[in-house]
Amino acid sequence: MTTSNEVRLPRHTKGKRPSFFEDPSLDQMMTFLLELTTEVAVLRERQDTVERLLDSHGSVTRAAIEAYQPSAAIEQERAAWRDAYLKRVLRMHSPD
Amino acid sequence: MAANPKEIPVPNIEELFRPTHDERARQSMVSMIRKHAIIDLRRALKSDYDNRIEPKLEREGRKPEDWAAIEKSMEREQSYRFYSSVRYNAQEMCYLSVQPAVERALPEMIDLASDLAKRNPAGGSLRLNPNLDLPKYITSLDVHLAPGWVHAEYTADDVAQGAVVGFGGKVFSGQHPYRKKPGAVAESISYWLKKKFPDFKPRRILDMGTTTGKNLLPYCTAYPQAEAYGIDVGAPVLRYGHAIAEHEGIPVHFSQQNAEATDFPDGHFDLIVSSFFFHEVSVKATKKILKECNRLLAPGGVMVHMELPDEATVSAYDNFFWNWDTLNNNEPWYTSYRAQDPVALCLEAGFEPGKAFKLHVPDILTFGEERHAQFMRGEIESPAHGSGGWFVFGATKR
Repeated sequence: MTTSNEVRLPRHTKGKRPSFFEDPSLDQMMTFLLELTTEVAVLRERQDTVERLLDSHGSVTRAAIEAYQPSAAIEQERAAWRDAYLKRVLRMHSPD
Repeated sequence: MAANPKEIPVPNIEELFRPTHDERARQSMVSMIRKHAIIDLRRALKSDYDNRIEPKLEREGRKPEDWAAIEKSMEREQSYRFYSSVRYNAQEMCYLSVQPAVERALPEMIDLASDLAKRNPAGGSLRLNPNLDLPKYITSLDVHLAPGWVHAEYTADDVAQGAVVGFGGKVFSGQHPYRKKPGAVAESISYWLKKKFPDFKPRRILDMGTTTGKNLLPYCTAYPQAEAYGIDVGAPVLRYGHAIAEHEGIPVHFSQQNAEATDFPDGHFDLIVSSFFFHEVSVKATKKILKECNRLLAPGGVMVHMELPDEATVSAYDNFFWNWDTLNNNEPWYTSYRAQDPVALCLEAGFEPGKAFKLHVPDILTFGEERHAQFMRGEIESPAHGSGGWFVFGATKR
C-alpha cells in the first residue's frame, strides 16, 4: 500500500458527467473559464496582500505573504470584491 | 507518576491543514462561485421561468404541470444551461481546492488520529470493521462529485477523505447564508427538541451516516448527560471525526457500521438522528434503516431526521429545483427518495400512527430566539428548507 507521504488523491469523479450544452466542448470550455476566473482572483488577492504589506511595513517578502492573515474587516472587503468581480465576469445576456 | 491524560492539551487535527496563501485565495473564490450558482443564478433562473418561459408556454397552451415537464421546458434555455454548468463546476472545485493541502498534511494527520484512537483522551472510542461490505449505493459513483467520497482509503489508517469532505464542505458552504457554521442543522434541531420536549433527557444518542460527526456534536452539547454514538460505512471519515471530537473534549463512540443492520441491542437509544442522509441511500435501504430505527428506539424516545422536503410538501417548481442533484450531483436516489411520504415510511417501518411527524424547523442561528418562540406558539411559520429552515421528519415512541 502507498505510504502516507506518497498519496495522490484522485482529481476525477466516478460517475457519468452530464452535458448541459448541445456541444460537450462548451461544457469543457466552461470548466476552463471558471478555473481561469479563479486563478485571476488568486493573483488579485496576492497583489492585494503585497499592497497591504507595503502599506504597513514598506517592504515585502515571500514569507510575509505566506504568513499574512487578513483581519475580519479585510476579509469582508475581499469577499465583496470577489462577489462583484464574479458578477462582472459572468454577465448574462438579457433573456430573449 | 503518569500525568492525567485529560490535562494534556489534545491537538486539533484541523489545524494540520495548512493551505498556502494562494490555495486559501482559491478556496475563497470557489466559495463565491458556489454562492453565485446557488443564490444568484438560482434566483435568475426562477425569474426567467416565472416571467418568460411559463407565460410563453401558457400562451401556447402547454403550461408544465409537474417538475419533470418544467425540467423539459428548461433544458434548452440559456439560464438553465449556465446555472447548471456553474453549479456543477463549483461543486467539483470545492474538493479540488482542498486536495493538495490535504495531501501535504496527511502523514501528520494520520499520526495524530492513530494516537488519539489509542488514547481516547476525551473518553470516546473508535471501532472499525475492515470486513464490512460497503453498499453499492456508496461505491458505484462518487456522491456529491467528491472523488473517493467518505469511504475510499489510499494508505494505512487513512483519514484523507475525512479532511477532503470536511474542508471541501467548508468551501461549499463558506458563502452560504444559512450554512456558514458547521453543525447548524444539529444546533437548530436540538434547540427545537428542547422546546418541544422540555422534559426529554436522552441517555444515549445515535447519529446515522455521521461522516465526521459535525451534526452530532451539537446534540452532545445540548444533552451533555447522554452517551453519543456515531455510525458510518466510511472508515476515513470516522477516524477523522473521532480526532475532532477528542480534541473538542466530547466523548463520542464512533463505529463503522451499515445503518441497515447495526450491532446495537434493541431499545438502546432514546434519541436517533441523522442529517442529509436518507436521500443518499436506495429507497430499499431507507426502508430497512427506518425499521432498524424502530428496533433501536427505546420507549419514550424520539427519532428525528433532517432531510430534503418530500415531493408533496413543495411546489412543482421547487421539485424541479431539488431534483437537479439526482443526475447532476451524483445522488441517484434523490428523486425516488423525495417521491416517498416520510410519514408513510415511518408507519411502514412499524412506528405508531399519530406518532410520526414532518415539519420545517427554523435555522436557529439566523432566525433568533424571539421569533423561534413565536414559531413554537404557532404564530409564525418556519422559513422553507435551505432558505432559513430545515425540513425534518421522525416519530416518537410510547
